[in-house]
Amino acid sequence: MRIACSFCGERELGEFTYLGDAKPVRPEAGASEDEVFDYVYLRDNVAGATSEYWYHGGGCRAWLKVTRNTLTHEISSIEPAAGAGAAKVGA
Amino acid sequence: MVEFSWVSRSPLEHALVTGTDGARGIEAGISLTEIRNFDLIQVMARRGQAAELGQAAKARFGVAVPDAPKAVRTSDATLIWSGPDQFFVLSKGGKHTMQTLEPALSGSLSDQSHARVLVSISGAKARTMLAKLSSIDLHPDAFPVGAAAATSMDHTSVTLWRGGDRTDGQAVFNVLMFATFAESLWHTMLDSGAEYGVDINHTERLA
Ligand SMILES: [Zn+2]
Repeated sequence: MRIACSFCGERELGEFTYLGDAKPVRPEAGASEDEVFDYVYLRDNVAGATSEYWYHGGGCRAWLKVTRNTLTHEISSIEPAAGAGAAKVGA
Repeated sequence: MVEFSWVSRSPLEHALVTGTDGARGIEAGISLTEIRNFDLIQVMARRGQAAELGQAAKARFGVAVPDAPKAVRTSDATLIWSGPDQFFVLSKGGKHTMQTLEPALSGSLSDQSHARVLVSISGAKARTMLAKLSSIDLHPDAFPVGAAAATSMDHTSVTLWRGGDRTDGQAVFNVLMFATFAESLWHTMLDSGAEYGVDINHTERLA
């Protein structure tokens, strides 16, 4: 598998580290215990397109948000994760 | 109070033995040269301030800083892309140091002069040898003079860029590596180049 880093271009998998599911959103303060439990522990085991975070630690050290098909490993989109690159983020 | 006398030493002081290594009786296909005593400053834009840093850097260096994996030569420095909104300033002789750059650039600066080792690789077999270490396509069509990459060699993060060609037309590949990994990577490079014959040198001169 090769990943086309938004900043570096296509690179071998060995330069990247997988973080995990990019879908869970941290609940607001004061959310119920069930919502927090869901956010921390519960993950979908998707057969198909998933959104996930990858870290280009062996390269430019940017975080990427990758949409990957778990059945085929086909990658349909890659974008810098929020906060990757100072220019990409507002103050 | 004890007075110390600090002497600057290369992390490759012991590992690097000037001369030839590997195959004998043939013209060495690889030339490995360590460049010593350089000034290296890492410059990173602060959040949301990449444009300001770009302007300040352009005023300072007279050229646009690389905003993609490239190395740009100025009259007295090389600016090397090291990641989104960050770059290295590589120079010699105290022209661009923390003292001179910090007031001129509106970013986060850190001195990496003694944290990195710089090795330049050239010769007829340089690209063949590097193919054993790097997954980057170094063919001239894909990696021309001035191309750069933040990448890994032997599981070690390096900054790689193609400098100006040698006077005999051979390509020159520069590798900037972490000082503490340099000895390991140096031996890996020697092993990779052994079958082609390696010429080993060090210099104070930044090509
Ligand atoms: Zn990258």
